[in-house]
Parts: sequence; structure tokens; C-alpha cells
Amino acid sequence: MSAESLRDLWLTYQSTVAFIGLNGLLALSVYTTLSCGQLSLAQAGFMALGAYASAVLTLHTQAPFPLVLLAGAAAPALVAIPLGLPVLRLKGVFLAIATIGFGEVIRIFFVNLDFTNGALGLVAIPQRTGLPVIYAALGGALFVLWRIRGSRAGYALEAIREDEPAARTMGIDASAYKLSMLVLGAALAGLAGALDAHFNFMVAPSNYSFGRVVDMLVYAVVGGTTVFYGPVLGAAFLTLLPEVLREVGSRVGLQPGPLRLFVNGLVLLLVILFLPNGIASLPGRLRRRRAGAHAA
Amino acid sequence: MGQQIVNGLFLGSIYALFALGYTLVFGVLDILNLAHQAVFMLCAYVALLLVLHLHLPMFVAFPVAVAAGGLVGLAVERIAFRPLRGRSDSNISGLISSIAMATILEALALQLFGPDVERFPFGVVPDRTLHLGDAVVSELQVVIIAIALGMLAVLTFVLKRTVLGRRIRAVAESPTAARVLGVNVDRVIAASFFVSSALGAAAGVLFGLAFNSVSPDMGRTVELKGLAVIILGGMGSMPGAAIAGFALGLLEVFTVAKLGSSYRDAVAFGVLFLVLVFRPRGLLGAAALREA
Amino acid sequence: MRLPLLSLLAAAIAAGAAPAGAAETVKIGAVFSLTGNAAAYGAQQKAGVQLAVDELNKSGKLPGITLELVLEDDGTNPQQGISVFDRLINLNKVSAIIGPTLSTLAEAADPRAQAQKTPVVAVSNTKPNAITTIGDYIWRVSLTEAQVIPSAIAIAREKLGFKTAAILYGNDDAFTKAGFDVMKGSLEKSGVPILGIQTFATKDRDFNAQLTALKALKPDILFVSALVEQAGSIAVQARQLGYTGPIMGGNGFNSTKFIQLAGPAAEGVLVGTAWNRASQDPVNQAFIAAMKARGTDPDQFGAQAYTGVLVIADAIRLAGMKGGRDDIKAGFAKVKDLPTPLGKFSFLPNRDGNHAAAVQVVKGAKFEILQ
Repeated sequence: MSAESLRDLWLTYQSTVAFIGLNGLLALSVYTTLSCGQLSLAQAGFMALGAYASAVLTLHTQAPFPLVLLAGAAAPALVAIPLGLPVLRLKGVFLAIATIGFGEVIRIFFVNLDFTNGALGLVAIPQRTGLPVIYAALGGALFVLWRIRGSRAGYALEAIREDEPAARTMGIDASAYKLSMLVLGAALAGLAGALDAHFNFMVAPSNYSFGRVVDMLVYAVVGGTTVFYGPVLGAAFLTLLPEVLREVGSRVGLQPGPLRLFVNGLVLLLVILFLPNGIASLPGRLRRRRAGAHAA
Repeated sequence: MGQQIVNGLFLGSIYALFALGYTLVFGVLDILNLAHQAVFMLCAYVALLLVLHLHLPMFVAFPVAVAAGGLVGLAVERIAFRPLRGRSDSNISGLISSIAMATILEALALQLFGPDVERFPFGVVPDRTLHLGDAVVSELQVVIIAIALGMLAVLTFVLKRTVLGRRIRAVAESPTAARVLGVNVDRVIAASFFVSSALGAAAGVLFGLAFNSVSPDMGRTVELKGLAVIILGGMGSMPGAAIAGFALGLLEVFTVAKLGSSYRDAVAFGVLFLVLVFRPRGLLGAAALREA
Repeated sequence: MRLPLLSLLAAAIAAGAAPAGAAETVKIGAVFSLTGNAAAYGAQQKAGVQLAVDELNKSGKLPGITLELVLEDDGTNPQQGISVFDRLINLNKVSAIIGPTLSTLAEAADPRAQAQKTPVVAVSNTKPNAITTIGDYIWRVSLTEAQVIPSAIAIAREKLGFKTAAILYGNDDAFTKAGFDVMKGSLEKSGVPILGIQTFATKDRDFNAQLTALKALKPDILFVSALVEQAGSIAVQARQLGYTGPIMGGNGFNSTKFIQLAGPAAEGVLVGTAWNRASQDPVNQAFIAAMKARGTDPDQFGAQAYTGVLVIADAIRLAGMKGGRDDIKAGFAKVKDLPTPLGKFSFLPNRDGNHAAAVQVVKGAKFEILQ
């Protein structure tokens, strides 16, 4: 392959590589609460808050990009606190529903906010995000989660996930941990939103719908939620899949849209039924199976 | 004013019908079946195909589509929920599994029918209108409200007075106890899914007729409103779902009339939120362990 | 020693013949919503560009050049639109892109084309004061709402004589909101009081509450800015509620799908249009006949997409039969009074399109020009 065709290949797929990084961040934002056993689906709303906050700053002030990103992470994190306090008391599905509702309320709020052009959103945002920033952010998030895992906090989270009442009796402040994870998740989603807004030139409420957070959940689950890097694997796999499918689909004569949706659904179903700990657990399983074969 | 009440009751009856199936499965299995809206959508298409291609009259196509919905529900239960039964996190993994089924069904619909909005051919339901005071009610709207109320009545009867109903309630209380008492839990759960999905299918066909549009994404908004309805009504409560459905319909319509349409969707979620924060069991839900 | 001379002669003739026979292929990318909310328009646009490319290749109007169409679906999804633009520009190396279908998508994807110096011809983006403002590589064939609606309202007022109005519009789409802004501005300028304004979301199916509220105000005419699928339901529900007054729609109504969806309720609905289908101009009549021969009853979107290709071809011709990106861009600036189904077409200095508009009314399940 010549240098020029490599460069063209790069230009064509650079947005895909960027989306893998962004989707990885988003998947991690869902993972933070899953790691202590809570299913929070408000992340699309948090992403919207981060995206809008950062976009408004860029368009109306001369703030430097790092500051803009910080604001993008901080805005939803702050909102997550008053949200989490009443809502984290709820169990399982009820928490999920409450957070879905919250996410939708945020979206509707932005649809009706004239200051940001309502449903039309903000356009012509200068492209300040590049691949290095995205992957630096992703790397930073992974680092933080890695440090948490091995620490006492990590064990506490694990305990809460396994059996919350038991963890409480052991003296673990479950409420504080759950809230912290919600806030961390909100910050990650907001950061991703800010990066996304400065990559795609625009923010619009339709980007932050319920469907978006379902996508994030799918990345996390398919990748695996028992290890901190699992969600990123899921994001990478499911972001690349449509590109691969596009080639296959056009040859087989199937519409790309339905095919992608179908494969997403099928992959999720197979994972949840047969590989509940996601792609990340695959090496472990294969290793065990091989060991089992040898042990005969 | 009278017209808006009619609009509200009409919208509400569809919400109520949709929510009935939703809340039934939750009451029995403790799982939120997010594939419900896909069955809603798919069976609207089934009815559409029966009318368009086989030229069946609506009063034949409707029950056929409803039965088809029940069958799809059985399939969904078998594929996506039963294998997860023993797991400890079965309500979250069940939720995710139902999302997967919904995505697959929606993809199927997109591939088979395309993304465009379709409508039932004109004249498939009688077009007459009645005038009540200053309100205009179409015959179709009256029929839909009647069917919703009728199905609620039948469902309540089944649950309270029949053997199946008793078994369903037993399983809802405690599957282990029910099994000990000799109830075939798997069969009962399958039956609940059949009923639930049949209700969803009915809601779908009526929705398609009521608003003259059938499209692969028609379940999405109803699904989210449906969440608000079952929370307001109380998870697992049939009468709660019905009352909440009508209430939400009226609330939405009057919000539009008095405050403007921008706030229409926010009302549903606002209600959802307030209920979850202040009275998680909703209007008629059991005061069971809803809090962590 | 004749043989070597003969072979030399043969070689010379062959060498001379080769360049004249070799055709240069100019790739044109087309990005339309073939799936998603705007798919009804995308289907027409696809038919329009395919017809135009086939006709041009057969006609010999561009000697030495073969046009190759690369068609992609943006799924009515901005992220997909951006990815598809990147592919067309860098992988397929197209000389120009036609599309995308909706203004919302254009605002996301066109900047990438501008940054990578690839000309874009918008054939259905009608948001005023936008699109072409993205940069000098973005050109527009479709008239903006600001060009069509005011004259349509004026014509309708002359024929129908309405005194008050009400407006219903979709507030979550760039195009329907822009249409509303123009309708409101135009009515206010003409001194027509707007008795009430209601909104809806693209995903809504139930418009009874909004329509009831507006009907109660007894306006003389109802303006609606919506995409075609909602437009159909709105018309049906309005008539069902007993509203008998005239309804005038924005550009979203300009699709045969509207008539199909609304059925009997479509009768008498008015729409401003950029395409006068009743025009007896031979270019227009030939276009309609050719589209029908291919099984598509053309609407405004088909006509505009077809014109988009004609404009690109003309730009290539004016640039000296050169099909590179900057050649086409330079050629656009020279396009003047090009005969198209839309009428005689030229670009304005700000790269927007310019030709006469008209008002249509639905009669007997067909669009006709309002007389």
C-alpha cells in the first residue's frame, strides 16, 4: 500500500477511530454505577449537559479548551448530586426508570431552551477535539478506574454490588459510594459530551435521547462489566461492527440500517444469555476450557 | 373544553391498554419488559398486512393480530427471559435481554417494511362522527375507548375469578411457594406473557388506527410514557395502570391546551419523577420493598 | 520494406486514436436519507439523480466525460452523515457531493466537505441564512423557505382573502422550525394577526390537543410546518375534528407521500413550491415523462435532485470539460439561466439558488398549480 492510499484510508476512518474513543468514555460512564450494582440510565442527559455547557463556553467566551472540557465534566457532576440523593434509594428497576425519566427531562429542557436555539441546537462549533485529546481522556478515565479497583474503595464497591444490605452491616457507607460513582459517571459522560460537541461541530437535543443511553449500556454489557476495561472493548467492537457490516451488507443486498440494528441486538442477546460477563471474559473462559480439557 | 376531555380520554385509553400488559409482566416476574413496545409495533403491522394484502375486514384482522402478539410474547419469554430465570441479577439482565429482543424485532420490521410511515387504507373503519355538545367524537374513538375498558374488565375478571388468574397471582407473590403448591410456574409465566403481549398488540393496532400511522419506531415514545403510567399506577396493579393511563392522557391534553405543547412530554416525566421520589409505590401499588 | 512502414503507420493511428476514445470518469457522490425520518424525500431524490446521470451519459453533452454516481445513505442521522461524507471524499474521491436531504444533517456534515475543499450541492436544504454560509464550497439549488413562503402566502392571500391565521409547527427539526420562522415573519409583515401558535415533536402522532386548541380560536387559515409523515396525520386529524378552513403547508408537504398519507383530507391543501409541475417548458415535460417511464411520479424533491446533477454537469462544461473539485467550484460561479425542470436556473452571489416559485393545491389527489 502506498503512502498516499494509507493516508486516504486514515482520513476516511479517522472519525471512526475518534468515535471508538468517545463511545469508550460513554460506556465507562455507564459502567461506574454498574460496578456497584446500580443501573443508571441518565447518562444521555449528563452527556447533553456537558456538551451544551462546553459549547456555550466556546461560543460565547474565549475560554481555553482544557477549561471548557473541565466545565463539561463539572456541570453534570454537580447536577448528579441533587439527583442522586433521592433517587439512589430506589431499588434496581425503579432506579433505572427514574434515571431514564431524568435523562428525558433534560432533553426536553434543551428542546425548549431558546438561548440554545431549542431543538435546532448550536452549530458551527470550532473543531477543537483531536484524537490525542480523546484518547488522553479515555486513558485518564481508565487509569482512575484501575486505581479504584485495587483499592479499598474497589472492594467496597464490589461488596455493595454483591449484596448491599450485607455490605451496610459491615459498616460500608453504601449511599456515599453509590453517589460517588453516579457523580463520576456523570463527569465522564459530560466530558465525552464536550469532546463530542467539539468534534462534530454541533450539539442538538436529538443526539441525547433514550436511544443513546441504551447504546452506551449495550457497549458496557457486551464488553463486560466485571473488569474496568470491559466497556471500552465493547465500545470498540460495536463501533467497528457497522463499518464492517456496511461492506458485507452491500454485497448481500441487505439494507445497512436494519442490518446494523439486527446485529447489535443479536450480539447483545447472545452476550447476555451465553457470555454474561462480556467479551472481556472470553480469554478467561477459553483458558478454563483448555485447562479443563488438559485436566482430563 | 369538552373536546379536550374527549381527546384526553381517547389518548388515555391507549396508554392504559399499553400499560396493562407492561405492568402484568412486572407484577409476575419483577422484570421490566422493554420488548413490549416492539410487540406493540409489530402487531400493528400484522393487522396492516392482513387488511392490505388479504383484504380481511378489521373485525377479523384485529383478533388475529392480537393472537399473533400473544404468540410473539411466548417466543420472547422463551428466548430472552426463561434462560435467565435462575440468575441473581435477573431483573437487570432481563431488562437488557428485553432491550436486545426489542432491537432485533425493530430491525426485522425495518428490513421487512421499510422506515416509512404507513397507514391503514381509508374506509377500513367506519368514518362517522358523533356530536356531544361542542365536542366531535368519531365512531372509531368511541370503539377504542370501549375496547380498552372492555379488556380491562376481562383482565380483572380473569385475574380474580379464574384458576389461571389465581395461579398468576400466586406466582407473582412467590414463585417458590407456588411451585411447592404444585403450580407449573413455567406455564403460568408463559401464559402471563401471552396475555401481556396480546394486550400490547391490541394497543398497537388501535394506536395505528387512531392516529393513522404505523412505523417501526412507533413504540418508542409510547414506551417511555408507558413507564410513567405504570409507575404512577403502581407496579403490578391492573386497575392502577388503567386509572393512571387515563389520568396521563387527560393531563397531557390539558397541558397542551393551557400551557402549550412544548411541555407535553415533560409532564409525563415530571409525574414519574415526583412519584418515584415521594411515593414510589404509586397510586395503587403494593407497599412492598420498593426501597433499597 | 513496406511492412515496417505499415506497422509504423498502424502504431501511429493507434496512438492517435487512444486519447480520443479514453473517457475521463468524474465521480459524483450523492448522500440522501434513504432510511430514517426523511426517507420519503430520499427515495425521490435517488430517482432524480439516477435519471439525470443516465441521461447525461447517453446524451453526449459532456464529450470525453462519464459521470459515475456513488450513492450513500445518511440514515437521517448526523453521525452517519459525517462518516459517509468522509468516505466519499477520501475513499471514493468524488469531485462533488449532492445532498444531504435535511438541513439538520447538512449543518453537521457540510463543514467537513468545506474543510476538505469538496463542493457540495444542496438540493433540498431550505433553511434560510444557513447552509451556504458554511463556506464557499457549499452551493444550493433548493430555494429557501424565505424565498418560497412569502410569495406563496401573498398569492394565497390574493386568491383566498384570509384575515387571521394560526400556526402549528414541529419545534425539533431545523427545517420545520425555519419554515415556522418564515411563516410567522411573513404573516406579521403582511399585517395578518396570528391568533395562536402550537408546537409538536417529530415523533408525535397525536395532534388532537393542539388542533383543538387552535380550532377554538377560529382562524381563517391554518399554517402547518411539518415533515411529510406528520403532515399527513395533521391534515386527517384536523378534518376529523371538524376544522373546515384552508390549510397551507411548508415545504415538507411537497411530496406525493403527503397525498397518499392524508387521503381525502389532502383535498384543498395549499403548498408553496419551488417546482411548478404544470409548467409547459419542454425541459420540464421531458423530465416528468422520463421519471414516469421509470415508475416514479416525480415531486419537487425529485425535480430538485435532478437539477442538482444538471448544474454540476454545466459547471464541468463551463470549466472547460474539467471535472476536478476546484473546476466544478469555479464552474458553478458561471452557471447562468441553465434550462432545468425548475425553470431557468442561476446562482445568487451568496451561492443560493434563484428561480421563480409558485403555489400548489391538491385537487383530485394530485398537485395542481393554484389558478
